[in-house]
Amino acid sequence: MNRAKQALLPILGALLLTGVVAPAQAAAAYRAPRTSFGDPDLQGLWTNASITTLERPDNLKSLVITPAEAARLETANKAWLAANDRPTDPKAGAPPVSDDPGGYNSFWLDLGSKYAVVNGEIRTSWIVDPANGHVPYSEKGRHDAMAAGMRQFTNFDGPEVRSLGERCIVGYGSSGGPPMLNVLYNNNYQIVQSPGYVTIVVEMNHDARIIRLGGAHLPANIRPWMGDSIGHWEGDTLVVETTNLNPGQAFTADIRHRIYLAPDSKVTERFTRVSPAEILYEFKVEEPTAYTQAWRGEIPMRATKGPMYEYACHEGNYALTDILAGARAQEHKPQARATQ
Amino acid sequence: MKPIYVLVGLASLATLVGMAAQGAPAATQAYVAPRGAGGHPDINGVWEVMNTANWDIEPHAARAALAFRPGPFGPVPAKEVVALGAVGSVPAGLGIVENGPIPYTPEALAVKKDNQAHWLERDPEIKCYLPGVPRATYMPFPFQIFQSTEAIVFAYEYAGAVRNILFKDPGPAPVDSWMGQSVGHWEGDTLVVAVTGQNDSTWFDRAGNHHSADKKVVERYTPTAAGVMRYEAEITDPATFTRPWKISLNLYRRAGQDAQLQQFKCVEFVEELMYGRLRKEPLK
Repeated sequence: MNRAKQALLPILGALLLTGVVAPAQAAAAYRAPRTSFGDPDLQGLWTNASITTLERPDNLKSLVITPAEAARLETANKAWLAANDRPTDPKAGAPPVSDDPGGYNSFWLDLGSKYAVVNGEIRTSWIVDPANGHVPYSEKGRHDAMAAGMRQFTNFDGPEVRSLGERCIVGYGSSGGPPMLNVLYNNNYQIVQSPGYVTIVVEMNHDARIIRLGGAHLPANIRPWMGDSIGHWEGDTLVVETTNLNPGQAFTADIRHRIYLAPDSKVTERFTRVSPAEILYEFKVEEPTAYTQAWRGEIPMRATKGPMYEYACHEGNYALTDILAGARAQEHKPQARATQ
Repeated sequence: MKPIYVLVGLASLATLVGMAAQGAPAATQAYVAPRGAGGHPDINGVWEVMNTANWDIEPHAARAALAFRPGPFGPVPAKEVVALGAVGSVPAGLGIVENGPIPYTPEALAVKKDNQAHWLERDPEIKCYLPGVPRATYMPFPFQIFQSTEAIVFAYEYAGAVRNILFKDPGPAPVDSWMGQSVGHWEGDTLVVAVTGQNDSTWFDRAGNHHSADKKVVERYTPTAAGVMRYEAEITDPATFTRPWKISLNLYRRAGQDAQLQQFKCVEFVEELMYGRLRKEPLK
């Protein structure tokens, strides 16, 4: 980016704060390179790893925080990760029987170390609309979300009721989207473009989101995982509209977010390259019965280094066997719970 | 040189070319493919075989099933598959192995035969495991190639398998994987892809043909006619085979309404098979 353009960014940021221009227009300050067939070039490896999450944590009251506040929180996060990264004491023996013996230590996580910066602002949530940084569930939407979520957290009767991540059908949470959200690890995406297509290879689980540029959506009875995506260009912005979402994917949960995506939602994603090293990824979710309003988010996707490795989940999925077998063992030995 | 000698010379050249073509049909085709990214042949599109190699890469007659048990007058389809009737039977094919049979070591041939006898328990396709290379190429599902100046990515309909072709060799893969590490380069109009770092858990077909984790595959994709590519793969695996051997086949580009890759994420389709016994109330 040249100096003149760099100098423009804070000004554009200030304009944004006053609501004079929309984010996509701000991005026009930078002109993306072109592919050999003339489309704006979004290709490469990108990551959305960040401390920022879909919804705003309760302890943070505003969308934007100061650099000093961000530094304080990032230091606290680093300390937590370090504390969680101590080697296991080999003499400690088996942990006490409990519902939750704990999960990964920090070595296995790759959740980023910084709050995301969008248009020069340090952001506390991806959601920018509504302003409270939360999914605007209607009463029905909240009810459906609770029902789907409760089943996933309390029912172990068979594979179908477990989460898609545990079943290795798609990645944890909404990693593959849409909307594509950051999770605890494997927050990597490869974009490759060819005439008529933009394809996003999602690291977890080796999913190719094949976005057709133009054309018609699938028949209503075909509802793939990650939905059916059709894109078009608006200037330098790739606009992707996804419908035909799989009802089985309606509730997705990760440590970092829980989201109920009503199956008849329309998700619109906007990819705008705002610098050689960053794509501004915007999304909007619309469904009139589950939400009180359309809701929108903004996520920076930063260039990252490869290569991206294979996340073969199902092939080594001992977890689902153990989850179900563990539940059966508890049913047959009710005293196991009583001795805790 | 008099014209008559020129003609004779051309004729003998043509004979030589013809002879060479018998040995290596792909490399000597005169077809010039339309150019794509970077001046290389445009291999974008949805491709698929029209053969039965996934049932058995070696020449085989049609047969009633993939799993049998002894019957009063010879083998009959095994109990587990008998209900499938003609749907569970095997279509014939001339195979894709060049100069066969596959050069197994005696021990590895015994394993192949044992695999065949235990097909239902052992074929990784039955559990929707990633297919590996080269099996991904000739499964009865299409795959799509996305080709740009910077990258080539393969997306396979079966199991949602993907491969990113690296054009800069990062060195040996740090860990084995199901689809391996693919490093590509162009030799004229042929895309050559060296695949290493694959684990030992994939098969070549439903006939029990197998390999070790030492397997190296060199693939060659050469456009030979409008919408047709010749695919050749040389397999080297001294732990399993006495010499390197090759497979070759044609890939056809789907057109029009057929050229849209669908989704076949089969993991959920095998949950009853793999986890049904662990249900709270296993089905009778």
